[in-house]
Amino acid sequence: MAQHAVTSFAGLVDDENGDFRLHTDIYTDPAVFDAEMRLIFERTWVYLGHESEIAAPGDYRTTTIGRQPVVFTRHEDGEVHVLLNRCRHRGAVVCRLDSGHSNFFRCPYHSWVYQNDGTLVGVAQASGYPEDFDKAGHGLLRAPRVATYRGLIFASLAPDGPTLEEHLGPVRPYVDWWFDRSPTGTITMISPPHKYPYDANWKWQAENGADGYHGNYVHASWQKLLERAGEAPVKDIKRYREGGCTRGFPYGHGLLERPGGLNPAASWTGRMMAKYPDYAEALRGRFSDDDIDEISARRNIFIFPNAYLFDTHIRSIRPVAVDRTEVSLRVYALDGVPEALNEGRYRAHERFYGPSGFGSPDDIEIFLSCQTGLKADGIDWILMSRGLHREEAVDGELVGHSTDETPTRSIYREWKRLMQNGAGPARSAALTAGVSHG
Amino acid sequence: MASVPTAERVGVEEAAALLYREARLLDERRYDEWLDLFTEDGIYWLPIHTEGGDADPRSAISIIYDDAARRGERVFRALETPVLDQSPPSRTVHLVANVEIDRDGDAAPGDTRVHCVQSISEMRAGGPGQAGLNEPRTFAARCEYRLRREAGGLRIALKKVALLESDQPIYNLTFIV
Repeated sequence: MAQHAVTSFAGLVDDENGDFRLHTDIYTDPAVFDAEMRLIFERTWVYLGHESEIAAPGDYRTTTIGRQPVVFTRHEDGEVHVLLNRCRHRGAVVCRLDSGHSNFFRCPYHSWVYQNDGTLVGVAQASGYPEDFDKAGHGLLRAPRVATYRGLIFASLAPDGPTLEEHLGPVRPYVDWWFDRSPTGTITMISPPHKYPYDANWKWQAENGADGYHGNYVHASWQKLLERAGEAPVKDIKRYREGGCTRGFPYGHGLLERPGGLNPAASWTGRMMAKYPDYAEALRGRFSDDDIDEISARRNIFIFPNAYLFDTHIRSIRPVAVDRTEVSLRVYALDGVPEALNEGRYRAHERFYGPSGFGSPDDIEIFLSCQTGLKADGIDWILMSRGLHREEAVDGELVGHSTDETPTRSIYREWKRLMQNGAGPARSAALTAGVSHG
Repeated sequence: MASVPTAERVGVEEAAALLYREARLLDERRYDEWLDLFTEDGIYWLPIHTEGGDADPRSAISIIYDDAARRGERVFRALETPVLDQSPPSRTVHLVANVEIDRDGDAAPGDTRVHCVQSISEMRAGGPGQAGLNEPRTFAARCEYRLRREAGGLRIALKKVALLESDQPIYNLTFIV
């Protein structure tokens, strides 16, 4: 391909001269992926799960932060711990299951035993080590920072940086409204989750959930299906989809928003309030009509770099390789609502989402199409400028048309900020030094 | 099942014949005819494996939990809408084996419980080098059917497909399994 002028990771996002373009390498270069893991996923706050997944002392679930295997646990004192899943002796993982219940983790190799807060409590045949062997210094490594926001568990592998509340910043009120669809303001995750993989870059999924531009095209099939079901004519769906807005925030967050309100024709929450008077009463008992207007707006909220809050589920994105991603969709119950309301949400979720849903698989086909198309890398840049000329800065956020790429630009402004710590030219061979010293 | 007269009992041969016919309808993409195989209250179910056995499908998430209306949407979607995930469409080969009548397991009065295993091969063909296409995949499943004799013949009251990898990330399962 043509030699290009990009000499650093940061240069892969061209946001100068009133334009916004992304270099192809962002999605295709293994060196960029490697740098993303080190400079983004192993530095910033990463979403791991919700407290209700490890409700009881001894509960645990395993996952990854970037590429690093971790297990998050609830200790008998109730505290949440995030531990690197690697025995301090010879490196085997101490927990191979997805989730479960255990107060101890025993390394299968030489039977070193750790408490679920990481403390090393047992070394097999300990006489092979000096009596003053530093057991206390050989616990499972803990993530330097763990914090929760309304039950959402985050960890950062960097010892310092913005607090979780600073990181969430102005997206917090939207997260609060999302939780407040429950009259108790809380959710309980239900298992098992939906999971799907795709052979393409993780950022396609990160971008797509708050992209309001693709729906009329990628989900044309879905719109026909809704029309057939008598739910709404396609022309009304398209008109509805003109409404709302997109929002972009500092630290990479963004959202796609559809108007709320108490009109059952326009808003899901409005429909549920009409259908379930107990639910309506519970919300009205806590919130003003103005608040309910905000609560009932439907929002897909992206929390950089790996989580989405959706109406039925929390989605987490697990990058595996530059062209491999795994996504989990964990459905939750809204606490304090009629059981039938949640059951309706579960069936609605299955209808659109997951490996056999009527929506998710269409999106994934596009991710694969993009990854294949980008092999034509004689074209250096892809365009991410839709709505750049018309988005407005309002109270620390950028607000765009519902079809504008405002949320995606937020992702890449933060991406650029974090990736600036890695210097050097963008091509693989030249990157290593910049990354390792970054 | 003592209440069912012997003459009306569903035997293994008759059950297998229905399962083979279903497999052929699916492999020939005759999805409309597949819909007719089900009873009105029939369920097409792909549960997700959990350690504690099958979760109650009403209070948990399944890969698929289709009643008649949802099955109708699934077929409409695959055959009559501009759907991306079935364009190109899946080719499938269903292999049905180990068909066994289970007269001990609990089933609604009049229903016959049938176990079998299936090996389902699938591929979508496209241009060279296209991610997600051109690679045959095989899904192994333990299946349970509940069959009911109705006026028009033997019908499916339940088709439950327990995929080997049901709790793992699964790409594009939008053909009729």
